[in-house]
Order: sequence, then C-alpha cells, then structure tokens
Amino acid sequence: MTNVKTQGKDADRVRVDDIAAFVHAELDCLDQRRFEDWIALFAEDGFYWAPVAADQASPLDHVSLFYDDVRTMKLRANRLRHPRIHVQDPPSRTVHMVSNFRDFEADGNGLIKFRCNFALFEFRLTQGQHMYAGTYVYSLRRTEAGLRIVAKTALLVNSEDMFPSLSIWF
Amino acid sequence: MTDVEKMRRASPADIDADLRALVEADRVHRRIYLDESVFELEIERIFGRAWLLVGHESQVPAAGDFFCTTLGRSPVIMARAEDGRVHVLHNRCGHRGAKVVNTARGNNKRFRCMYHSWTYNIDGSLASVPLQDGFPADFDLKDRSRGMASLPCVELYRGFVFARMTAQGPSLQEHLGDARFAMDEIADRSPVGELEVLGGMHRYYFRGNWKHQIENLADQYHAPFSHESSVTPDGYQFSRRPGEKGTRIKMLNKDGSPGTESKGQWWFPWGHNACGAQSTDGDQGGEAFDAYRSDLERINGVDRTRDLLTHKRHLAFFFPNFDLHILAQAIRIVRPISVDLTEVQIFPIRLKGAPEQMFNDTVRLLNLTHSCSSLAQTDDVEAFERIQAGLQSQGEDWIRIQRAIDRDVPDKERGGMLGPQFTEAGIRNQHRAWVKYMVDWKEQVA
Repeated sequence: MTNVKTQGKDADRVRVDDIAAFVHAELDCLDQRRFEDWIALFAEDGFYWAPVAADQASPLDHVSLFYDDVRTMKLRANRLRHPRIHVQDPPSRTVHMVSNFRDFEADGNGLIKFRCNFALFEFRLTQGQHMYAGTYVYSLRRTEAGLRIVAKTALLVNSEDMFPSLSIWF
Repeated sequence: MTDVEKMRRASPADIDADLRALVEADRVHRRIYLDESVFELEIERIFGRAWLLVGHESQVPAAGDFFCTTLGRSPVIMARAEDGRVHVLHNRCGHRGAKVVNTARGNNKRFRCMYHSWTYNIDGSLASVPLQDGFPADFDLKDRSRGMASLPCVELYRGFVFARMTAQGPSLQEHLGDARFAMDEIADRSPVGELEVLGGMHRYYFRGNWKHQIENLADQYHAPFSHESSVTPDGYQFSRRPGEKGTRIKMLNKDGSPGTESKGQWWFPWGHNACGAQSTDGDQGGEAFDAYRSDLERINGVDRTRDLLTHKRHLAFFFPNFDLHILAQAIRIVRPISVDLTEVQIFPIRLKGAPEQMFNDTVRLLNLTHSCSSLAQTDDVEAFERIQAGLQSQGEDWIRIQRAIDRDVPDKERGGMLGPQFTEAGIRNQHRAWVKYMVDWKEQVA
C-alpha cells in the first residue's frame, strides 16, 4: 500500500490502489457497455477530452477526437442505445487496460490529479481489431457520493493519425 | 483474365471505350469502385487534370510559411514567398526525387533536402547544390528543370488556393462557374469578407472507394434514414448551433417520413453540386452571435445582413474532391489512397473579424459532426464500407442512379440546374464529369 504525500490534512491522503480501483471500475463500465454508469462517474461540470494535436493547449480553438461535456456524453450514449446505430452493427467489443500510475497531486481540498498509461483493444466483426494507446490525465473530486471525474484527458500516441470510426470512448 | 490484365493488354482506344462503357445515363458499373486499373487512371486523368483545392492562403499567412498536403497521390507544398505570392510545388527533390519537406507545416527561408543538401527557394528554384563542380559544365542553378517543380497552374478565389498538374484545361473561373457563389456565401459572412482556415484538421478513413464519399455529398436522400440514430424522439437532430433555437435539423416526422426541408439540390458543369440549406443561421442566438450580427448590420445594412445570414446551401461540392461545408463551416478534402482506401480531412473555417466564441462553437460542433467519432459522419463511413463490401457481389454488375431523373430546371437566380431535395442528379452529374475527365478530355481542350 503506497500512501501518497499530499499538501493537505490526513483525511485528504489518497492511496494509489484506491485510485487504481476507481479507474479499473470506470473502464469496466465502458467494456461492459454500461455507458450510463460511466457517465454517472463524471461530476456535473466534468468533461472528457481526446485532443488531436500532440501539444494541444485547448479544446476550443483546435479540433479534438472527442470533447464531451456530460450533456454530449449523454447524446453519445443515447445513440449507442439506438436500435439503428449502424456503426455498431455488429457492436464493438473492447478491453481497456491501464498501468504506470504516476504524478499524483492532491490539493488538500478534495481534488486529486494523476496520470496513467492506457491501451484499448477494440474488435468489430467486420472491422477486425484496432489498438490504441496513450496516457490518461485525470482530475478527480472527492464528493460525499464518492470520487467523481472532473476531467479525463486521453492523450493518444497517434492522435494526429487518420482514424477509423470511433464509437466508444478511449 | 482479370480486369487489370485486360486493361494492360488493351490499346488506348480500347481503354477509352472500356471506360466509357462503365457509365451510362442512369447507371454505373461496379468496376468504377473496384478495379485497380480504373483507379490508377483516375489518379492520372482526373487528379492529374482537374483543378484541385490545395488549401486556403490563410494557412500560410507570413513569408516563408509552408503547408504540406497531397494532390491525388502527389505530395505538394503550399508556401508563401517574400513577395507575398503563394506557390504550390511538387514536394520532390530535383536531384534524386526524395520528398524534401517532411513536416506538415512550418516556416523557413529555404527548403533543404536531407539526402545531399540541395536547397531550394520558396518558389522551388535551386538556391545551392553542394560540390557543384562535379556536375556537368552546363549545370545551372537557374535551370528551373533542376529545381522542385511548380504546379503549372495556381489560382486563388476568395483565398481558396487551387492548383492543376497540367498546363492545359479550362481557367479556374470556367471550371468553378456559378458553383463559386458558394465560396462567396461563406466569405461574405465575415465582417471583413475574409476567411481563415486554422484549428488543425480531423482525419478519418474508410475501406472503400473515394467516390462513395463524394456521392454522399450529393445525396440528401440518405440523411433521415442513415442518420436515424442521432435523432431524438421529437424527430430532431442534436443542435448544430448554440442559442435558443440552436438550428436543430428536423429529420423525421411523427409518421417516420423524412422531415428535412430544403430548397433542393443544384448541379453545375464540371461535376459540381450544392445541397440546399436545411435550416437558417438567421435563427442562431447567443451573445456572441448577436454582437456579430450587429457588426454585419453596421457594415452591410439590415436587409443585406439578413440575406447573408440566411443559409442558402448546406454544402457545395467541387469535383473531384473538395467539399465546402457551409453549415458546419469547414473544408473537406477527399483523398484517394487506393481503390478501396480513402482518407478524408476536415479543416475548420473561421470568419475573420467575428467573435472568437463563434469559432469555438464551430470547432466544438465539428467534433460532433465531422470527426472520426462524429455522431453522424460515422453512419456515412459505415455506409461507404458496406457499399464496398456489397459491390463485391457477383450477383449484379450495375448500380442504378435514377431518383428524380430529368426533373431539373435552370435556376435563373443562382445558376446551375435545380432539382428536388432527394434527387440523385448530383451523383449523375459527377459521373458525367468522370467521363469528361477520363475519356473526353482531349475534346474539351481542343
């Protein structure tokens, strides 16, 4: 058990394995296609971002692979539930994997930041298998209901590449 | 004998006859999407002959700025020289043929080949060659044939940079014809009448022929059905703009019939077409947009502003591969890679002088409408791949394109021929242009 040093009080200390368990459970929502449960892990003002440019400073003045607030996530999830979402016929099967948790920061007021690496394997019967890899940058907020995602950024190693259709979040 | 073998043994006249037989007035043969030898000829005869969009001059605003792209399969550089002129060069060293510039964009005074350090000026002429004394005595740096070759024809319209690989052919003006008004429609919406192309690009690909994408740009018939999964129970698609009304497109009526309304679809000579607007930008709201509209009214007056902001076209497509998406405010380039692999690039457009917030909204919306993760574009990509898979069928060789045939009338106001919204006239028009470039080119320039 690794205790992470924080600048706050003891109550704010985060344990790496608690954080990893949260991320594993979050990604399991995606792999199990429990999209609504996944969205519920975001704070109301939370967002999900996958930039295109390697050094992209902002999602506002440059295109992104994804830039979803919670409202947009719900639009996407509704579409994923639609009986005639052609790009998910047949549906994708996915496995998300994470490792290399690092760079923990806690501000003492319940905000926790860290990075980890990820790999996503996606298979559709007509498409074969696609693989993606990169680094997640997380900001989590401790709330009474548990940890909530304030910001999740997926920095893909090939973000500037051309992509096939993406239906499932990294 | 395979199709490729047949073509390789054929005489030029036989090749032309073979190509001509693939396109009829209301149907096309599946080989135009499947046959590698046809694809090779398309690269040569369509992409080697037509005016192609390279980009927009705002992508190279300062002297020394360069932007690399691909025309057909040729790597090219668009660059701005000290005198302000925009040059389009083949990105190929005049010495051994290596691609000279390997970064997507940047700024420099000279281009330098990594192999033997031949360096070139922005206009492609040779600046220096190491150990020049070893070359024949008549080797002259000023000899243009030793440098990086320029494209023989480069012309601009409203900042859009077009180039052509062959010296022969119609002028840009003749090529664009009345379809060019679409570029005016979007540029005139800028308070200063200028556009800027910035904010990176979306890139998606599909395992299908490039023509599936361009035909989709002349196909409004598919929208209510193919994009059904992005339609909410009230029959509307997600909002395309901020503000009260948000210009949501009505896709389906309660009885499941198509709910989109548009003025129709235009087609023009040389394969271009335009799809009528489906909603009006005049309904747009929000603080930034209101400030912008006031600016426009101050410059143009109320009536002209209302006219400028009334969407006339959803998009305009310029054969063979440039889509000016007016509603989404973006350039789309369709890049053929092989007979069954196509890349599509999407570049956001900023109305120069309009509030930054409006550009932010454009960028944000493009992520939803035209990215690889789009809520709508992915439906089209799926359709393109399924067409490519379905056309493998040996059950039928022909694809019929018959909707609203012969129902077009000349549009005296905006030019071109105007047909109903769900016509397939634009697709037929693309195929006529295909024959023009592939077979009848000589007659055109005679």
